Amino acid sequence: MPQLHKETISKLTKLSRIDCSEEEQEKLLADLKRILNYIDQLQEINTDNVTPCDHVLADMLNVMREDVVGPTMPRETFLNNAPSHVGGLIRVPPVLKNGT
Amino acid sequence: MTQQWEPVIGLEIHAELNTKSKLFSVAPNRFGDEPNTNITEVCTGQPGALPVLNKEAVRKAVQFGCAINANVAKFSKFDRKSYFYPDSPRNFQITQYEQPIVLGGTIIAEVEGVEKSFAVNRVHLEDDAGMLKHFTNFAGVDYNRAGVPLIEIVSEPCLHNAKEAVAYAMAVRAILQYLDASDCNMEEGSLRFDANISIRPKGETGLRNKIEIKNMNSFSNLQLAIEAEIKRQAQEYTQKSHLPPNEVIKQATFRWDPESKQPVLMRTKEYAEDYRYFPEPDLVPIVLTDAYINQIRATLPELPLQRLRRYISQLSLAPDAAFFLTSDKLLADYFEEGLKTCSNARNLCNWIIVEFAGRLKDTGKTILTCGITPHQIAKLVNLIDKGTITGRIAKSIADDMLADPTLDCEQIIAGNPDYQPVHDSAEIAQLVDQVLASNPQSIADFKAGRDRAFAFLVGQVMKLSRGKASPAVVNDLLKERLKAKGKDEG
Amino acid sequence: MHTLSAIDLRNKFIQGDLTAVEITNHFLARIDRYNQDLGAFLAVFHERALQKAKNLDEKRRKGEKLGKLAAIPIALKDNIHVAGEISTCGSQFLLNYRAPFDATVTRLIEAEDGIIIGKTNMDEFAMGSSTENSSIQKTFNPWNLKCSPGGSSGGSAAAVAARLCPLALGSDTGGSIRQPASLCGIVGFKPTYGRVSRYGLVAYGSSLDQIGPLATSTADAALLVEVIGQHCDKDSTSLPMPGETYPLQERVAGMRFGVPRQFIEGLAADQQQIFNNSLETLKSLGGTIVDVDLSSCKYAIAVYYILATAEASTNLARFDGIRYGKRSARAKTLDEVYELSKEEGFGPEVKRRILLGTFVLSAGYQDAYYKKAQKVRTLLLQEFKKAFEKCHLVVSPAAVNGAFEIGAIKDPLQMYLEDIYTIPSNLVGIPAISVPSAFTKDNKPVGLQFMGPQKQEAHIFPTAHAFELANGSSKKIPPLYQENLA
Repeated sequence: MPQLHKETISKLTKLSRIDCSEEEQEKLLADLKRILNYIDQLQEINTDNVTPCDHVLADMLNVMREDVVGPTMPRETFLNNAPSHVGGLIRVPPVLKNGT
Repeated sequence: MTQQWEPVIGLEIHAELNTKSKLFSVAPNRFGDEPNTNITEVCTGQPGALPVLNKEAVRKAVQFGCAINANVAKFSKFDRKSYFYPDSPRNFQITQYEQPIVLGGTIIAEVEGVEKSFAVNRVHLEDDAGMLKHFTNFAGVDYNRAGVPLIEIVSEPCLHNAKEAVAYAMAVRAILQYLDASDCNMEEGSLRFDANISIRPKGETGLRNKIEIKNMNSFSNLQLAIEAEIKRQAQEYTQKSHLPPNEVIKQATFRWDPESKQPVLMRTKEYAEDYRYFPEPDLVPIVLTDAYINQIRATLPELPLQRLRRYISQLSLAPDAAFFLTSDKLLADYFEEGLKTCSNARNLCNWIIVEFAGRLKDTGKTILTCGITPHQIAKLVNLIDKGTITGRIAKSIADDMLADPTLDCEQIIAGNPDYQPVHDSAEIAQLVDQVLASNPQSIADFKAGRDRAFAFLVGQVMKLSRGKASPAVVNDLLKERLKAKGKDEG
Repeated sequence: MHTLSAIDLRNKFIQGDLTAVEITNHFLARIDRYNQDLGAFLAVFHERALQKAKNLDEKRRKGEKLGKLAAIPIALKDNIHVAGEISTCGSQFLLNYRAPFDATVTRLIEAEDGIIIGKTNMDEFAMGSSTENSSIQKTFNPWNLKCSPGGSSGGSAAAVAARLCPLALGSDTGGSIRQPASLCGIVGFKPTYGRVSRYGLVAYGSSLDQIGPLATSTADAALLVEVIGQHCDKDSTSLPMPGETYPLQERVAGMRFGVPRQFIEGLAADQQQIFNNSLETLKSLGGTIVDVDLSSCKYAIAVYYILATAEASTNLARFDGIRYGKRSARAKTLDEVYELSKEEGFGPEVKRRILLGTFVLSAGYQDAYYKKAQKVRTLLLQEFKKAFEKCHLVVSPAAVNGAFEIGAIKDPLQMYLEDIYTIPSNLVGIPAISVPSAFTKDNKPVGLQFMGPQKQEAHIFPTAHAFELANGSSKKIPPLYQENLA
């Protein structure tokens, strides 16, 4: 089993953007350790030469649609659920021109 | 100092496909509409929404793969790429990481007169993100662009200077244009370039750390950015030669700021995202048959390279002129339209891409948008060929045409006596005699064997005639007179 | 009226013995009376349901064609969209989220004149086996109000078991329809993966999720599957075949039932007894019991908790406070919008699973966990395929035991082990049904599970139906809910 540290939890909360208090992080670390301990039994099985299963319905292929425009969601419906919007745009706090 | 360095450049080009609907959503794929009006539950990442693949996007990707002689994968699939950003409706992009639809391929481009071959690593389908608009105290997100189909074209790191990179990029753009696969509009963002740049001492075989520059939205910016970065890295290595190379240049990503014409740091490697790619469970694999792929290959339209070679071999155009013309399908179409009424391809080409283009530089217009029809330019070229007007007069006429594109060039000539060339030998003979009389030294020089003196005398006659004398007639008369003088003076 | 099956109710409506409004009012009255204590429903659509009922009565009066579900009140788990209505998914994050579109199943039900009567409680984002993870309210087991109804479709199961409506839809990712059905003494069915459209179901484990019916009889469950088991163009994983019909048949004689012995070993003694009694019933009906080898199923939970959480970690990434749902009032920067909204919006189990899912996909661990789990999934598929060469259906208990007390299971890992019998069929995409089979000494229901090969719904229903009739447990109504509120 890999070594799980507080830093692991910290990194995971950053990757998934969930804020957690110190206390919660400790509890999560303990939980994750137990669960991973259980999950690690998978290492017992020999899976050499086994292909990973991406889809449980192996014969489903080439599902595509024609290039046709369909009904759109009215902007009002979209913005109705929005926590904050202005001028038809979803409003968020100022963003540094970063990101991918 | 830069000569001892070999730049190694890879380009990633994102091209929006011009399908009617988006890649996984049936929303319209259109630029410029009111924000958040071209959306569905799928491309705004509503819970419960599911992606369904657009078959036309697949066809265009396959078509592009065939056009670059790549390997079209018979089996490809989609993956989720996780990262958080407000313009991402699901906070994961659906892309093709492990098994892309196209592998390999070649881009052939003219670089400073030489045809070069560049290797493509892969081409894959993915969906675009929305657009973030920045205001002082907040930012606004518009999801109209979210979900638009993209093909990402990844080159091998086989470009070695900025000019090669630009030529490669222009060649890719031309292919997309000829296939009508994308609007290729760099200002609107339907064609975007990211460059990965590293340098190494000539002879070194390994690759050093690279810098990524994103968001170069024009060929000139692409060239500027790459040249600047190469220079910067060379300076760094030179100044910090006491440090191991991987500490001098550390991997980082920059965004090119078109206003300041500078790269702006986005993130360093320490903050590199872990994208956690894994197969997209909501989509099933794409399996293509030989028949399908061959059908697409067999029905490819004429491609830029084919057109280029045709222009060189059949129309005898110079290679760099032909490359420039064929790099923009609309320009080449314009040229061929003009060819319908003009048989001098070389001259027509020159007038389009040098004379008129040069006059339009910095006006914000191009030959395609200035309102002058190809037939007008063809007419002008025909008039020069026939000798009806001189080259110099034609240049003035060109200026007039640009000032008022509705005018017909023959009308312009008819309306301006200065444009009516003088063919009358008697009139020209007078001017020739006048010039000869005023330039005895030149006559002597010419007789002494200096051909430049002849050209000088021709020039003087042309000047006297205010450009209207027919050069052919001037030439003949001058030669005649000089010969006669020679005889006279024994 | 509430003791009638859905099919009977529909027949009475069509024949004119009952009006749709009468039927709807009857069940609305029961909901109004009992839901307070039971906690099954999160939202009740009084007006909408009555309007639909009125329209149906009008349709019948005019002699118009009436749908397969005519006048049947049906509850939907709160992760299935009804356009314009709130879908909370049991989460604080979506307390105010109005579904902008109908789920395909919603559309199909309404097209067949079903009356959608309300939305039911669930474990948050379908993560749980007891409905205790709902951040909104508790749901109790109609057979014992101290106990859990199971999860994550606990609300739907309790509603049907208490006869607050004859039919309900739930979702099943690792057993979330079948386990609550078993704990509540009703029938619960998970279709073949891809049989029912997932369009409009808030995704948890995309390669595992299926919507399915909870009902008081196999016949009723089959009827609902006839309606919702249609191909859907908006779901790329939807089976490329038209819907099927499941005529009411009984079929056990001549069938071989596979029993995975290693699987049953861990059962408590009384559960073993109950299971064996069920096998005897099958034998008495003319079936044969054979041993099958499903030894890889002991890894099923580990595989599930890797794959489901990995998928969930990305499916739930969209809940970020930007476009919909909760945005923390404390958030001043973009990072805070993400972090605080999720911190406030998600309960502990959801956070746990997102972090676990992120971990198993992260660089350096993906091969050992995610890819490994995918390979074991292949092995499970192979094992089940081999088993179905020896038998028509595999049988097992549906749950480990009868209902447990609310609050009794605090260890997340122990809760995960509750799903040991149900998880394998999600992993291999096969249809599976839980049918009430017995009651424990303290009068808690127990269910028997039948699993069939992919796409073989038509072979499961007749057998489950026959077993149900012979067994009779499904007829029992929880004592607290037998009263007729006339």
